[in-house]
Amino acid sequence: MSNKNIKNILALAKELRWQIGDDYHDNLTESIYADASKIVEDAVTKDKGKSKFRLDTKIDKIVTSKIWGFPIMLFILGVVLWLTIIGANYPSSLLAELLLDNIHPFLKNLGTSIGFPWWLNGFLFDGVYLAVAWVIAVMLPPMAIFFPLFTLLEDFGYLPRVAFNMDALFKKSGAHGKQALTMSMGFGCNAAGVVATRIIDSPRERLIAIITNNFSLCNGRWPTQILLATIFIGAVVPKTYSSFASLSAVIGIAVLGIFFMFFFSWALSKTVLKGEVSTFNLELPPYRPPVFWKTIYTSLIDRTLIVLWRAILFAAPAGAVIWLISHIYIGTESIASWTVHSLDGFGFLLGLNGVILLAYIVAIPANEIVIPTILMLTVLVTGISGGEGAGVMFELDSVTGTADILRAGGWTLLTAVNVMLFSLLHNPCSTTIYTIYKETNSMKWTLIASILPLVAGFIVCFLVAQIWRILV
Amino acid sequence: MNYNPYIALLLFFGISLILFLVFRPKKGLFFLFKKTYKLNHKIAIEDILKLLYHNQTNNNSLTANDITNNLNYSNSLIIDSIEKMMDSDLISLEGDTVKLTNSGNEYSLRIIRAHRLWEKYLSEKTGFHHKEWHEIAEKKEHELTVEDTNKLSVLLGNPKFDPHGDPIPTSTGKMALKKGTPLSNLKVGSVGRIILIEDNPEIIYKQILAENIHINSIVRVIENNTTRIVFHSEGEKFVLAPIVAGNITISVLEKKEIDEENITRLVSLKENETATIIGLSKESRGENRRRLLDLGFVKGATIQIDLLNPLGDPKAFLIKGTSIALRKKQASKILIKKD
Repeated sequence: MSNKNIKNILALAKELRWQIGDDYHDNLTESIYADASKIVEDAVTKDKGKSKFRLDTKIDKIVTSKIWGFPIMLFILGVVLWLTIIGANYPSSLLAELLLDNIHPFLKNLGTSIGFPWWLNGFLFDGVYLAVAWVIAVMLPPMAIFFPLFTLLEDFGYLPRVAFNMDALFKKSGAHGKQALTMSMGFGCNAAGVVATRIIDSPRERLIAIITNNFSLCNGRWPTQILLATIFIGAVVPKTYSSFASLSAVIGIAVLGIFFMFFFSWALSKTVLKGEVSTFNLELPPYRPPVFWKTIYTSLIDRTLIVLWRAILFAAPAGAVIWLISHIYIGTESIASWTVHSLDGFGFLLGLNGVILLAYIVAIPANEIVIPTILMLTVLVTGISGGEGAGVMFELDSVTGTADILRAGGWTLLTAVNVMLFSLLHNPCSTTIYTIYKETNSMKWTLIASILPLVAGFIVCFLVAQIWRILV
Repeated sequence: MNYNPYIALLLFFGISLILFLVFRPKKGLFFLFKKTYKLNHKIAIEDILKLLYHNQTNNNSLTANDITNNLNYSNSLIIDSIEKMMDSDLISLEGDTVKLTNSGNEYSLRIIRAHRLWEKYLSEKTGFHHKEWHEIAEKKEHELTVEDTNKLSVLLGNPKFDPHGDPIPTSTGKMALKKGTPLSNLKVGSVGRIILIEDNPEIIYKQILAENIHINSIVRVIENNTTRIVFHSEGEKFVLAPIVAGNITISVLEKKEIDEENITRLVSLKENETATIIGLSKESRGENRRRLLDLGFVKGATIQIDLLNPLGDPKAFLIKGTSIALRKKQASKILIKKD
């Protein structure tokens, strides 16, 4: 065939295709589906009186009912969080005793006995090892409890019903009902919450869920909140109410985080994300009894260990940095105290101080080491007695001891309130940032997700500080 | 240190106010500046061409004065542009009226093609709200080159019509024909299919969109007088002012063609009712449409409500043995016939 002929045929095909019109593709798809369902109908016999489906319907009617739907949901979330926070205490303190109180001095002695110079000994064991040990001790137990519980609920089939119940609330802020699940997962760990957004298959809603996940108070931040609330908030009310007051303060912060999550979801969907494709569908699969041991195993391997490994990778260099900035001197001052002094002015504007800001900078890899770093830096710059020496993070067993060090560092009730707010509203930890980048594959969204909460934190702390100083 | 919380707060709100004034969407100084900077003769010329083209197809003739009144540009810019257009032989003067030459006609079709293809693109491949399509395309039409539009057309499968029913010219300027009557001229009792929802003027277009009137749906006129037009479509009742209804074009159906009269939208399905799916509305587009097809919302499937929601929306529907939750907006774009 000559070239000219082929060209004519192609032109004709193009012309015909145009004439057939837009419906052609749809009609074709529909007829294929229709044929397929016809074949299924003819070939497959169904047992219509199946009783299995009725139990499902009964459960569904209860968990999505107007009266019971929301109480059941809150109750289950409450139990999961309670089990996580209370249940993690014992293994955490065991791990801390083992890794921090026994292995740490052992390693240091070992280093000295094989003739390490003091700086190598300090760098390796006071810096790198201590940060890693801290992250493992604080992070591992809650995650090992939280994720299996969550995965069990997921496997049972209950979580899609939560998304179903909550969707109307999330729709108002332009988000997907499944964001209720990724948000709850964020209470365990933001990095895991970001990974969990894969269940949202609509691009716009998924980005919203990723960017706002950091507003869920994660496991690494609960202890900070509880400690500060116990020391400072509990102290302003009569002793009988103090535990109640500090508990309400912590819950208040978590609820404030949910409020910010809704607000930024709404703002994002109306501005930068409005051009992204948005769809909705939610399958409600039948209930099945979870395969208990398999679930526990996979959730430990897939979620807990992967997240922990990433955290360790990021914590090790953070430990090194913390040790180095306290030991490298510019003139007569260490880098740490020099930075603390230069950040003090900005910190004061936010109702914080230089120590806190520096701690949040070096503790970007893990929220778990914020309090130990703050304590170490406070001792370093104020020169009071206590602690383990420059560059060695520590925590005290007694709450009053911690309170004394913080007060000596110039902390007031305002500082505590603002640190609690800032702990909720600051950039995600580097594990989460890295996960966001891997999930979105975009510098732009990673940057927005990292900076947005930080700016929110600056503004909120600033406003609280000024109004506090005017009123109090 | 001269610190005072009042001054700090004042500074903060001052800076916020300035940032707001500069970056406020559409009206902010930044955007105004960008707009005036980008405003040039090319855009003005292309807008004049479009205006002339639309009026020519409606058999209106325009004078240079009409053009200045109809477009939101300064007089000097328009007069400048008209001179340039005369020089490059895009328009000619016949007495007072300005006419498109052949090359002017071709040029304006190219702009219209870019505009309608971009609207189609926005409807199929992005998540922008349908109220915004027109406005975005108004800007984009001036930026697309001929090669861009051809590529876009291939990407979209060479569509014949844009999302609200206007024909898209081909690269050679051919357009599908659409014959219809304005809804306001229809007699009581007549039945027809909506083939075009005119997107100009924008105020009326947005009003029609807000009513949830869907393109390609069948309408039956119930009442038609000088104050209002009442019609049924897809099981819902709509009331419009004649001026609004005039922007909806209907292709009237003969009696024997009418076989889809009991079609309603899935939203109207009640608990314990079953229905057969007739199809997806033309308003369900792009990724949304494909998802629904994938999940089995296709012609002939039977459907019933599986679960009601404690907050009312979404509802779960039982289809092909699976329970799928859909929001109200999606359910209103699935057409059913109740059993």
